[in-house]
Amino acid sequence: MPVRTVLALPDHRVKETSVPVEVIDAPARALAADLVDTMRASPACVGLAAPQIGVLLRAFVVDVTGHKKAHSCHGEVVLFNPEVLVAHDPIVAREGCMSVPQLTGDVARATAVVMRGLTPEGTERVILADAFEARALLHELDHLDGFLFLDRVVSADAVFHRKVYR
Amino acid sequence: MPHFAICAVGADRPGIVAAVTGALLDAGGNLEDTSMTILGGHFAMMLVIAADAGAEELEAALSAPASAFDLTVIVRTIEEGVHESPEGEPWTASIYGADRPGIVHRFATALAGHDVNIVDLTTRVIGEPDRPVYAMVLDLSVPKGTDAGALQADLADLAGDLGVECTLHPVEVDIL
Repeated sequence: MPVRTVLALPDHRVKETSVPVEVIDAPARALAADLVDTMRASPACVGLAAPQIGVLLRAFVVDVTGHKKAHSCHGEVVLFNPEVLVAHDPIVAREGCMSVPQLTGDVARATAVVMRGLTPEGTERVILADAFEARALLHELDHLDGFLFLDRVVSADAVFHRKVYR
Repeated sequence: MPHFAICAVGADRPGIVAAVTGALLDAGGNLEDTSMTILGGHFAMMLVIAADAGAEELEAALSAPASAFDLTVIVRTIEEGVHESPEGEPWTASIYGADRPGIVHRFATALAGHDVNIVDLTTRVIGEPDRPVYAMVLDLSVPKGTDAGALQADLADLAGDLGVECTLHPVEVDIL
């Protein structure tokens, strides 16, 4: 499956609300594969949501394997139509995003999350995540509602320049 | 299009940003990078703008908000719109302790000695008037290959000399 172009601001598609995936069929699985391949193409990237590759469907991939801030780690997680069941104990940490090059920002996110969604096989999956994996899941879920970290920064002085990650 | 650096400072009250940016808009200016904050009760604006105008025209345009809000305004032409700072890794330093003259200068000098670039610096005087505490937070760009141990040691020595606390750590940015 091809590595897709990651959309960045000011492309309006990263600010759109995505719609649920009706059926987990071959095109949905192809989308999942594209998300995984595109994420893998950027070594620093630990997650990617469908709207970031221009597909306004509720799907994302997260993989925090090997990340030093990860505690829980479910490996490669692809979820369709994800929803948060529980989220608590927020902490502030600095995030960057492929769709917001050149900036980073301090964002408060829950450190304990229970999230439910459908796998590429069409079965329901419930994930109990903490620490960095919880942050990654919530960051990607935000993309499905058109929210970027810039919408969540804790204050005006919590936005910073950064090198462009490739 | 020519670029300009503009500073405006005055006693804080609502409407300063609206008045200054309105005057610049009317003069054909477009705001680029800016930083605006309250310093000691004064609202301080630092702006880099692009404008198809001259510095004198912009100063004239700003005279109305300057007099309405009693602002000190400076406009200077700058050579480049976007100037690239030296590359480096992001670090943050926090320094605080009993207020005394020279804290910023001494630390800035020590950092410059390691070719560390200060990219953001905020200082605040806090605590009781008879026991002021000086708090400073710096965002730094540390060149690759810097001896982090030596840098930490130099800053720790300086903190000891000045009787202040200093912590220095790399900023971990997670790309999601």
